[in-house]
Amino acid sequence: MNQTVTANIGGIVFHIEVDAFDSLTNYLNKIKSYFNNSEEREEIMRDIEGRIAEIFSSKLNERNQVIKNADVTELIEVMGKPEQYIDEDEVIREEKFSSDNTYRTAKKFFRDPDDRIIGGVAAGIANYFGIDAVWLRLFFIGALFFGFGFLLYIILWIVIPEAKTASDKLQMKGEPVNIDNIGKTFKEEAQKVSENLKNNGKQYGKKAESIIASFFDVLGVILTSVFKVLGKIIGVAFLIIGTFWLVALIGMLVGSNTIFSITSDGIFSVEAIDFFNLIFVSEDQFYWALTGVLLAIGIPIITLIYGGIKLLLKIKTHYSIGLGMFIIWIIGVSICAMVGIRVATELTNDESYTNTEVINNSINEFYISAAIETSPGKGILEDRFSVISLDKDSIFLNDIRLYIYESKTDSMELKVVKHANGRSRKEAINNAKMITYHYAINDSLIYLNNYLSTLKQNKIRGQEVKLKLYLPVGKTIFLDKSLKHIIHNVANVTDTWDHNMLGEKWVMLEDGLTCLDCDEIEGITSEQLNLLRSTKNQ
Amino acid sequence: MNIENTKAQMRKGVLEYCILSILQNGEAYPSEIIDQLKKSKLIVVEGTLYPLLTRLKNAEILTYRWEESTSGPPRKYYQLTKKGEDFLKELENTWNELVKAVKITSK
Repeated sequence: MNQTVTANIGGIVFHIEVDAFDSLTNYLNKIKSYFNNSEEREEIMRDIEGRIAEIFSSKLNERNQVIKNADVTELIEVMGKPEQYIDEDEVIREEKFSSDNTYRTAKKFFRDPDDRIIGGVAAGIANYFGIDAVWLRLFFIGALFFGFGFLLYIILWIVIPEAKTASDKLQMKGEPVNIDNIGKTFKEEAQKVSENLKNNGKQYGKKAESIIASFFDVLGVILTSVFKVLGKIIGVAFLIIGTFWLVALIGMLVGSNTIFSITSDGIFSVEAIDFFNLIFVSEDQFYWALTGVLLAIGIPIITLIYGGIKLLLKIKTHYSIGLGMFIIWIIGVSICAMVGIRVATELTNDESYTNTEVINNSINEFYISAAIETSPGKGILEDRFSVISLDKDSIFLNDIRLYIYESKTDSMELKVVKHANGRSRKEAINNAKMITYHYAINDSLIYLNNYLSTLKQNKIRGQEVKLKLYLPVGKTIFLDKSLKHIIHNVANVTDTWDHNMLGEKWVMLEDGLTCLDCDEIEGITSEQLNLLRSTKNQ
Repeated sequence: MNIENTKAQMRKGVLEYCILSILQNGEAYPSEIIDQLKKSKLIVVEGTLYPLLTRLKNAEILTYRWEESTSGPPRKYYQLTKKGEDFLKELENTWNELVKAVKITSK
């Protein structure tokens, strides 16, 4: 017992065994796919189905009501397999040299597997333009020296499909269409457009009432061709922009062994890996980050080039290429994110380590200044906010801040608070302890360095030094102009900005820091201060 | 050179001429044309004929009309157009010239 299905073939209903039906469907789809791009496909398929219906009808009688697999096999033998059609096309292919047929197939890009050295890309392109593949090979070899040749070739290799069937090969070379060449009805686009125009023109005469409809048809045809041209222009633009970015990216890669930095002291160069090792935990992490960034930036660039080529050459590609690119891009972004998170965890804890220096209490007037020379080592980063420089073993950072507070006791103190980040509290404290910071207190002179340092192996982990000067009431201090980079939000009763406080003498009073004998700032004079002191002593 | 290819090539060259010649004697539907072509061993598989007829029809060399059939779906009966008749005459001349040429050269 066999299961049957009913099928409508050429308008007649047949009972067909399931496996026979499957092989028939398979056969028809094969033929159909062969006529894939033909305008005449519908009509040809209808005719073929009609013939099939006729043949099947002749098989059926009172006793035999069902189409069996054997019938389908026999039918296929009679009608011929699509492969047989293709074989017949191969004959046509060899005719092209002798026949002078004006009908030519629209060409499509294919890689030529018959004339290949690597992937058949050069041969395929040469076929399309009807030139010798040698020139393209020379171009690719030439382009190799500019860096992008290899990548361009690989991209083309991926996007251009290989000419697998005879029909592909015909299209690749734009073989002439012979009148009996099955399924070869591709026409040049231009021809199609002009024909459409011609047909629409006829309608003008025949159907005066549909002039408007025809007008829009013509307009549609014109617009379509305009958009086709626009598509090509956009394609070219994509290609140029994409290639430019690709070259830039490769240039960056090649050049990124070294970082050049322009600082006030001149131009320095540092090995990239040296610099990034100050941030990343390990060299591996650096290479991961590099890979991630490359994919995250490179894939969109390649997609742009790919899109350009697609628009330009009208290549149909499988959606999986786009999907694959997207997945690779996501992977790149994920790597970036993961490295970012790993680096961020290195900075999660912020801890400090404090050194307190008690200053001689018998002195009443102090003078505070900072080093004005830049930190040692080669500067690699310098902007308004931070300076990073390196020498053989150490990192120098300029994150120094000076605060001045009123001392709650009678003792004058300088608290040196070293801050650093780390993966754990313990590590953060350890990183803080590893900060080296130099200052000098010589009687009334307080001299502060404007940079801190730590060993390279400790890496850059948000190190900073906060200097908190606790001034008892009654003491005066002269703020030198050299403090301008480190003075930070010093509260005073005159509401003067930090930078304007420099170059002046200040006195700590009960209600806060006040300017002493200043011209510009409204503070108090020495006489007033003496008066204040004498009244207080009484 | 593949002998089968050469043979197929030669067959193809005259296939179109033969189809038009068959239709010169009056209208016919594809199965009839196929039968005659098969008899003369010009085509091996029937599938080849349908695209060819469609293309000749689109080139206005052939035209067709529908006719109901007792043993299957309606049939397309093809016949030559005026243009087709002229076309066939041209082909006849060419064919005669070719035959003459072959006779002369193969002596």
